[in-house]
Amino acid sequence: MSKLLKIENNFQNATVNFLKNLLENKKIDGVFSFRKNTSNYGLITDVKELDNITPFYPLMPANAGQLFGRFTPMKEIIAVVIHPCEFRAFIELAKREQGSLDNFLFITHTCGGVYPLKVNVRNEINEKQYWTSVEKGEIPENIRPTCEACEHIAPQNADILISTIGEKSNVCEMYLNTEKGVKFAKLYNDNLVEKSFDKENLKPILEIKSAEKEKLFSAISETGLDGIVDIFGKCIGCHGCNTVCPICYCTLCDFDSCNYDYNTLILEKELEQKGALRLPPDTIFFHLGRLSHMSFSCVGCGQCTDVCPANIPVASVFKKVGEKTAEMFDFVPGRDVKESIPVAIFKEEEFPELGE
Amino acid sequence: MSKGIKLEGEIRKSILDFFDKTLSNNTFDAVLMPMMVPSEDSYAWILVKDKNLLKNAEPIAPIMPINAAKALKAYTRIGDGKFKIAALMKPCEIRATIELVKLNQIKLDDVTLFSYDCIGALPMQDFIAEPQKKGTFFDKLLKEQTYNSNELKPVCQICDKFSNCASDLHFGIEDKNILLISNSEKGAEIISKMELSADTDLENWQKNMEATASDKKKSRTETFELIKGMIDGFDSLAETFALCINCHNCGSSCPICYCRKCYFDSAVAKPNSDVKMMRAKQRGGIALPLDKVMFHTGRMAHMSLSCVSCGLCSDACPVNIPVAKIFSYVASQTQKTFDYVAGENAGDALPMKEYKLDEMGELGEMVKKAEVQESHHE
Repeated sequence: MSKLLKIENNFQNATVNFLKNLLENKKIDGVFSFRKNTSNYGLITDVKELDNITPFYPLMPANAGQLFGRFTPMKEIIAVVIHPCEFRAFIELAKREQGSLDNFLFITHTCGGVYPLKVNVRNEINEKQYWTSVEKGEIPENIRPTCEACEHIAPQNADILISTIGEKSNVCEMYLNTEKGVKFAKLYNDNLVEKSFDKENLKPILEIKSAEKEKLFSAISETGLDGIVDIFGKCIGCHGCNTVCPICYCTLCDFDSCNYDYNTLILEKELEQKGALRLPPDTIFFHLGRLSHMSFSCVGCGQCTDVCPANIPVASVFKKVGEKTAEMFDFVPGRDVKESIPVAIFKEEEFPELGE
Repeated sequence: MSKGIKLEGEIRKSILDFFDKTLSNNTFDAVLMPMMVPSEDSYAWILVKDKNLLKNAEPIAPIMPINAAKALKAYTRIGDGKFKIAALMKPCEIRATIELVKLNQIKLDDVTLFSYDCIGALPMQDFIAEPQKKGTFFDKLLKEQTYNSNELKPVCQICDKFSNCASDLHFGIEDKNILLISNSEKGAEIISKMELSADTDLENWQKNMEATASDKKKSRTETFELIKGMIDGFDSLAETFALCINCHNCGSSCPICYCRKCYFDSAVAKPNSDVKMMRAKQRGGIALPLDKVMFHTGRMAHMSLSCVSCGLCSDACPVNIPVAKIFSYVASQTQKTFDYVAGENAGDALPMKEYKLDEMGELGEMVKKAEVQESHHE
């Protein structure tokens, strides 16, 4: 049974005060949070600097999960305020031994989604409008397509889950889901009540979101290689999608390695067979490879679509393929850190049709 | 005064016809040219051997999604082929090619480089958003030989090296006609093999190009004045690159940044938690991802001497930082220091590979001064 800490203040200020309290009392050594004035994340160790954070902001300059890999192992404890998909990405990384959850206090919220980076570049983020939509339990306009279609908006495994969707802006409900969460809220012990987050409240918005997901998925054609060439044909090979992907943790992607440097003679042979050859080669191969390497762990954060210079809907494709692959293994990325990734375990009863 | 060969007909068609002939008479085995992708909203580099496929090529594409030097690198870097290749590219792509040859990333033994008078390219994302409209618009610019449209890539608008370059053969454009000009022995051989004779005066064409270049040089200088302020000192740099998200698309799309693993993506450039905490505690807080300005200044130090101002970096930036103009400006300054122009001449050594005794006289003076001061201390 988790506990509820109710604070009479809006969730933004309540969270800042909560963090100040923890930092001042040396329960934590640092805070990781978004800072609106820099449009970027920050690691803050000075209590005064916490005046400049905006814990909840509809922008994701990088998937924070990707950044945490380099924070472990460490002695210090850091409280992090992140979006659910960033938390889920880090769980997937922890399964791959790219980080450990131990020295973090994870604070997340029922997430309304984030805007594409370009919206921020154009200075068009309207915070008031965004939070009004969230308060009404609606999907804010113009957020990332994968956010519109996201069904993982309230992770129950984060230490602290703050309810924002459908909530009044003057009350902050913090659900302490883990022992760690309860331990860190000790300073507030008198105000805690036994209560779990009620998922029922999110039912209406989740229904809208799964309809959005169907729409998003049906827009991605399933016409075999031609369809794939149609989607990825304009890829310029910058591999930005992989650079910003929190799951793609390899120091050197196989597709950037010498395995894909071909001798001219091999390329000549291909040229002779086909009559023409695209250069550099392996444009589609890269995406198929990445799909098979990581898509079952794809958390649908949408970072890849945002950085694609050729406007390819990378995230929509990866989310669709990822969900279908994960389904086969009854797997949900980021659900539980104790759950192994499908390719790391072998179950005898798995895929009997393959055995036949 | 050298002369050129007049090729009649519409610009793109006569270029295609020319290469069609080179394939027919086995002057070349294959031709590298842009071709529209199946979704019809971008272009890719295709090496064409089958003559029948050549008609799908687009010699002068409205955008430059990948610098052609990268395509040549992928084909020629390892091993020796037996095919003779012709590659048609923009002057900045020729310059990138020359730089990559110096950096041992491209071999030109079997490659003949063709260039053309380039009006510039449209920003890739603009084109992808409205391919048909932008395609028609570009056709018009090309037909009218408009070099100063403000819808072209910002770095193209201020490019003064858009005409003849270090290619083997150059297609000059004059009054809707094409003048084929040979720049090298290789080029002359091709011309004689094709049984063409150079008898057209180039004076008029040259005059036109020089006039356009001087206009562009002017706007280049004006733009650089503005850019200067954007990178003047650390605070300006931090502000200019504030929105950078460290995707490093600029580095990965840059033809010159050929390192398989950029230093800034390596483990060395990613400090561990202890270092991060130490830095945070020193200042009360730090921005993450770390070292954004360091990456960009590092890249400037690593590649600006070879920067050819192709603008791929700006096309690839997801947060609209004017990377290309900034690097173009920095490159103009670093290249000036060594009296070097990237990609202008295959015979010029890379400044960092060469030591001249008389170079950096002022540095020598500084060293001497420092030594004198040192001896006083002793």
